[in-house]
Amino acid sequence: MVEPGATDLTLDSAPLLATEEHEAAIIGRSPWYLAWRRLRRNYVALGSLGVFLLIVICCSLAPVYAHHVAHSGPNDVHAGEHVRVSGKLRSVVGGGAVYDPKTNTFDVKPVVYLPPTWWHANGRFVLGTDKLGHDEAVRLLYGGLNSLKIGIGSAFLCTFFALVLALLAGHFGGWTDWVISRFFDLIWAFPVFLLAIAIGTALQVNGFHHFGINIEPGSLWIPTLVISYVLVPYVGRPIRGQILSLREKEFIEAAIGQGSGPLRVMFSELLPNVASTVLVLFTLIIANNIITEAGLSFLGAGVRPPSPSWGNLIASGQDQIQTAPWLCLVPGIAIVLTVLSLNVFGDGLRDALDPRAKVRLEH
Amino acid sequence: MTGKRRWGWLLGVVAIAAGLAMMAAAFSAAGTKSRAPSNPQAFPKLRAVLDTIDYLDPQQAYTGQSWWAMWNVYETLLTYRHVEGAAGYKLVPGLAQSLPTISKNGKVYHFKLRKGLKYSNGHKVVASDFKWAIKRGFLATGQGVGFYTDIAGAKAYAAHPTPNGNISGIITNNKTGSITIKLATPRGDFLTILALIFAAPVPGGTSPDIQNGTIPSTGPYRFKSYDPNHSFVMVRNKYFKPTKYIPRGNPNEVDVSLVGDADTATQMVINGQADYSNAAIPPDRIANAQSKGRLKLRTNANTYYFWMNINESPFNKLKVRQAVNYAIDRGKMQTLIWGGLGKPTQNVLPPTYPSYRKLNLYPHNVTKAKTLINQAGANGAKVTVWTRNVSDAVDSATYYTSVLNSIGLNATLNILPKATYYTTIGNVATHAQTGWARWLEDYPHPLDWFDVLLNGNRITDQDNNNYAWYTNKTTNKEIEALKKAQVLTPAVNARWAKVEKQIMMQAPWAPWSNRTFPEFFNKSIPAKCIHVQNLYGIDLARLCK
Repeated sequence: MVEPGATDLTLDSAPLLATEEHEAAIIGRSPWYLAWRRLRRNYVALGSLGVFLLIVICCSLAPVYAHHVAHSGPNDVHAGEHVRVSGKLRSVVGGGAVYDPKTNTFDVKPVVYLPPTWWHANGRFVLGTDKLGHDEAVRLLYGGLNSLKIGIGSAFLCTFFALVLALLAGHFGGWTDWVISRFFDLIWAFPVFLLAIAIGTALQVNGFHHFGINIEPGSLWIPTLVISYVLVPYVGRPIRGQILSLREKEFIEAAIGQGSGPLRVMFSELLPNVASTVLVLFTLIIANNIITEAGLSFLGAGVRPPSPSWGNLIASGQDQIQTAPWLCLVPGIAIVLTVLSLNVFGDGLRDALDPRAKVRLEH
Repeated sequence: MTGKRRWGWLLGVVAIAAGLAMMAAAFSAAGTKSRAPSNPQAFPKLRAVLDTIDYLDPQQAYTGQSWWAMWNVYETLLTYRHVEGAAGYKLVPGLAQSLPTISKNGKVYHFKLRKGLKYSNGHKVVASDFKWAIKRGFLATGQGVGFYTDIAGAKAYAAHPTPNGNISGIITNNKTGSITIKLATPRGDFLTILALIFAAPVPGGTSPDIQNGTIPSTGPYRFKSYDPNHSFVMVRNKYFKPTKYIPRGNPNEVDVSLVGDADTATQMVINGQADYSNAAIPPDRIANAQSKGRLKLRTNANTYYFWMNINESPFNKLKVRQAVNYAIDRGKMQTLIWGGLGKPTQNVLPPTYPSYRKLNLYPHNVTKAKTLINQAGANGAKVTVWTRNVSDAVDSATYYTSVLNSIGLNATLNILPKATYYTTIGNVATHAQTGWARWLEDYPHPLDWFDVLLNGNRITDQDNNNYAWYTNKTTNKEIEALKKAQVLTPAVNARWAKVEKQIMMQAPWAPWSNRTFPEFFNKSIPAKCIHVQNLYGIDLARLCK
């Protein structure tokens, strides 16, 4: 037992001292636990994560909503139908010019699209209809599902390939690093959107049928693969930089000195040390990919109509922006909320994992 | 406050004031409405907005918008009257002194050029310029060369076109101004083909390279400038002399802006930034636009249709093609796609043709459509619907895809860029099953429809216009026979109507609309000043302010 007031403090005595002072044993915590503790104190980040998860859950329930509430698929055209809104029968798409064959003239009247019913029509057309009589609420949810699938899927692929290439480049250096870095530079040299539009448009005509891979023209795999391909350098370069600096550390030398092969060094020594960076980049790249997908779909090079995505919903709604602005605004707000929540959570995650880290995506 | 801080504060205030002043100026400029000129006869400038043009080269241009402009710039041997309605389809002399003399066998046409004709650069127009225009079309592989292959020697020339080569069927004499055209086989529509802008004479030796707006003109206007994809300007041709049939234009200058977005174009007219737009006003804005400007509705000869490739499954089965025709709600499509500004149709020809006989072979009946699909054993058949990336084409094809799915097919949509759509679906290697198309008449003759779009003898492996790849011995033979009919007599028209019915009973198409185009004017243009020429649109010769 250490005498009170003694100034000697050794590793053996520290736990005893702690127990006496605080009546609790010191337990060693992993960096992940410490990060989690920092993160759970960041209420803004957790709130953002909650918003994002809520959006994911709502979009995932799109088939349930479509079948049980709206009774409409995302591509169903209800143009000739009527619906009861607050007891009144209304056309889904009505009005329009009327032709008089006797006088061979048109009586020009406005076309009227059903506005948002806000649950006054038993769950049908909650957000109204577009010019073809689609249920916009159903398309919004399915569009979100497609956008999230592409955003998260492409983020996985992009991060995976970027990580593999960065590990190879960072560990081996030399010619391997040179080749991979030039590959990054080549893709980096093209403006992201132009490259994505060019590749996406080319593949959308006939699909991809090479090397035993068959992807049909309208498949979601096309925008997923295109986006993951064009954004590989944006994830790969920061990770490569970090690996290059880690490679010079003593623990790597020690591992090599102990006879560890390249694979073991890469996956047992380097990878765990860049895991926090990869995790943060992954979160941020999801947000970036959702925006990229929305942009490509808006321009016609992403998700192909009639399959909905938030981007092509904005594109199709712009024709009616004066009479039905919510057709553009609502998917736009959905994109903003999703991307914002991911970015805020990603910032919080970065602060939690390493408050001194300066990890960010640069274009 | 130190001196430095005082200056900084002062500069900030000045900067803010300048910014506010600029914003105020910008908003007031945007909201400026044009005022009616004090002299109602004066018409210095027409500010027009078109959505797009392809070329301003007479041997290349093949869009309605380009032709609207070029009809006033490049005259042809024969032209159309500057009057409204069906009378506007009457052919009258243009650069020719009179209508031609035609040999009894219908193969030889003889013209004489008017005397004293000059281009906008002051050079004389000579007879051989007409021959050079036709040769130039072949040298440049212009989009209209197919119309002139029946001229004797044209096919041989087309095989190996050279500047010094000869088309033996065109004989010209610059001294007398005579032009003689010999055909290999007679064509009843040849006069209308000669009136196409493709045949507009250009100075001999004009390069076959695309020349947008730089070729000297013969019409009331000439191109002053052209900024690709942005704008072009037409001004008066000082060497033009009006005739009985070709009047001067009313505006001194026509400034055309090319604006792809229909909403923007419409708003420009409402705001007074433009006098006229031919943009496809969004259906929900048409009534609103009418209240804020002058809406002139123009029904030219057009048909919008879905073609079905009879060589590709499941459309190689007649019952499937008929089922599609039964399934489409043509009436509803007019509201959805055009805001009601269209007439449902099941015909190939539009109602403007004397040979038009209204068909109602496929009244809307979804139940019958489903039954036919079942009978054909085509349930669940995979179908790709092709369309081009233009708003109305996407919308109509989206509706069409949903209709195909509703009757038991498994349809998906494939949207192609506008620039490559027709060449893609017209290529046999694409194996396109079905898709969107439209045809706006090139000239007022049934041959422009049946021979180009539905004659099996004209099918080519590339750049094919018969997207249904439709061929039928009976109708092919009858079309070839009717080609030789020089005049559209009631008997000839009856035969055309019979051909149309025979074709539609085979249902290679599902026609759905004859569209009515909105021509939108600023309120500064009085309604009485707006006149339409059925073939070319708003008539600059009669437009006033």
